[in-house]
Amino acid sequence: MTAVTQTMPAAAAPLRKTPKGTFDIVFRNASFLAALFVLVLLAGIMLSMVVGGWPAFREFGFGFITSSVWDTQNDQYGAWPAIVGTLSTALIALVIGVPLSLGIAVYLTQLAPPWFKQPVATAIELLAAVPSIIYGMWGLFVFVPLFAAYVQVPLSNIVEGLPLVGTVLYSRSPSGLGIFTAGIILAFMIIPFIASITRDMLEQIPSVLRESAYGIGATTWEVVRHVLVPQAGVSIIGAVMLGLGRALGETMAVTFVVGNANRLSASILDPGSTIASRIANEFNEALGLQLNALIALGCILFFVTFVVLVIARILVSRVKTY
Amino acid sequence: MLSTLELSPQTLDAEAPVRIAVKNLDFYYGEHKALKNINLDFRDRHVTALIGPSGCGKSTLLRVFNRIYSLYPEQRATGEVILDGRNVISNDVDVNELRSRIGMVFQKPTPFPMSIYDNVAFGIRLNEKPPKSELDDRVEGALRRSALWDEVKDKLRMSGMGLSGGQQQRLCIARTIAQKPEVILFDEPTSALDPISTGKIEDLLEQLKTDFTIVIVTHNMQQAARISQYTAFMYLGEVIEFAPTNTIFMNPHKKQTQDYVTGRFG
Repeated sequence: MTAVTQTMPAAAAPLRKTPKGTFDIVFRNASFLAALFVLVLLAGIMLSMVVGGWPAFREFGFGFITSSVWDTQNDQYGAWPAIVGTLSTALIALVIGVPLSLGIAVYLTQLAPPWFKQPVATAIELLAAVPSIIYGMWGLFVFVPLFAAYVQVPLSNIVEGLPLVGTVLYSRSPSGLGIFTAGIILAFMIIPFIASITRDMLEQIPSVLRESAYGIGATTWEVVRHVLVPQAGVSIIGAVMLGLGRALGETMAVTFVVGNANRLSASILDPGSTIASRIANEFNEALGLQLNALIALGCILFFVTFVVLVIARILVSRVKTY
Repeated sequence: MLSTLELSPQTLDAEAPVRIAVKNLDFYYGEHKALKNINLDFRDRHVTALIGPSGCGKSTLLRVFNRIYSLYPEQRATGEVILDGRNVISNDVDVNELRSRIGMVFQKPTPFPMSIYDNVAFGIRLNEKPPKSELDDRVEGALRRSALWDEVKDKLRMSGMGLSGGQQQRLCIARTIAQKPEVILFDEPTSALDPISTGKIEDLLEQLKTDFTIVIVTHNMQQAARISQYTAFMYLGEVIEFAPTNTIFMNPHKKQTQDYVTGRFG
């Protein structure tokens, strides 16, 4: 630094003062610490989850995952109903939410007249910003009674006694609460995410590709099905995985409408529970092994969502090289 | 006058029937009038080049023929574009059927996200369900016709996106001719390609005009001179001069045309 300033002609005064080397070092280390903080935080959470849940894993072993018992009197705990509830509500949310999201995205990017595009796009952004407690309240006070009266009761009457559907779709207590209701509310919550990411992906496709697909005589359906969706394909899967991650971990809205039953029912219209709703319900009063079991549940959820997010990241990053 | 231009000995058949007749065509982007009273005849199995400076409306004219402009609600055309006795810009035309008879190749190669084979078969499958063996034959025929077969015959199942730019453009031409269209529209098909790829595409165009009526938009005047038999010079949305290519380049009647082809403006 000094050598350079000395060789400069005296007339050319430096436009800015030479930065002090010490500040640069401080700045560098500070930003390094900020980045390191994330790693420490993640490791700390992981560690405390594993340590907190360890007594439950040790007590029940692998049976903790497969057992359906949740008996606070006798301190017997099994995660199976909550795991099944978590996966099935998320699955229902995807089955309902993904086609709707794709429909929204395709309509907005390909078909909608401009005056309709902007209001819907804004509505999607707003939906994404609605807090989950609102979805839960709306679900419980508005959606659940309607669902019970107009879907559960008539549907149960229709399927009663039939093989398979008579079990899966029959609700013993048509209260409106249940796994299926939670799945629907979750679908509403993930639609804004999947729809807006998919819309962005479809929007990025150059219009000349779309024109050339139309140009050989393809209909709108054929263009979307064979050209546009495959072109955006992997990133749409990435968007779906992000939605799945949210559906798996969503707590408040699900706790409101899932029914919080501790036993496993064969019917998706019956109340159940998810990992997150179980934890939210019991954490206040949990002591001893029950608390450890809840933390162990948290560990399992952490693991499942982590895997989903990793897969999403891999898929999304592959899109750039495609 | 234009010694640098090599004008190939073009066989001009003045008796050739008119394949597309454009009459009193106006075109609007919203309020902006982009084409003004266009009247042109495109002869069967001839190459017609549209030249002119950027924004003169030559690509717009191309986009009227296959109604691709109808994808955009604010764009509209009035007048007549007669193909086989029908006005293709009237509302009762089935645009999907029309587009399978009028192929289009764009400036940038646009392979679809599927295998090389499926790219070529895509257009065929839209309209017909030929048996596997016939489909194979037609795909091979189209790839041979577009001088791509030898380069891709061992990797038909691989993605079309993996080919080079020039190969992708020939793939798009194969996809277009596999549908057996009557007319093929080329919108600056070589402007994104290197000279060698450009040469291959030009050779290809030379071959294709025996079977297809070709309309090509180009910024490259040498290209227009080399491959076309008729040339229309457009400026500011109007056709300034339309004549056999030799006339346009050697003996233009309008001063504007002469200025443009000699590079004095444009």
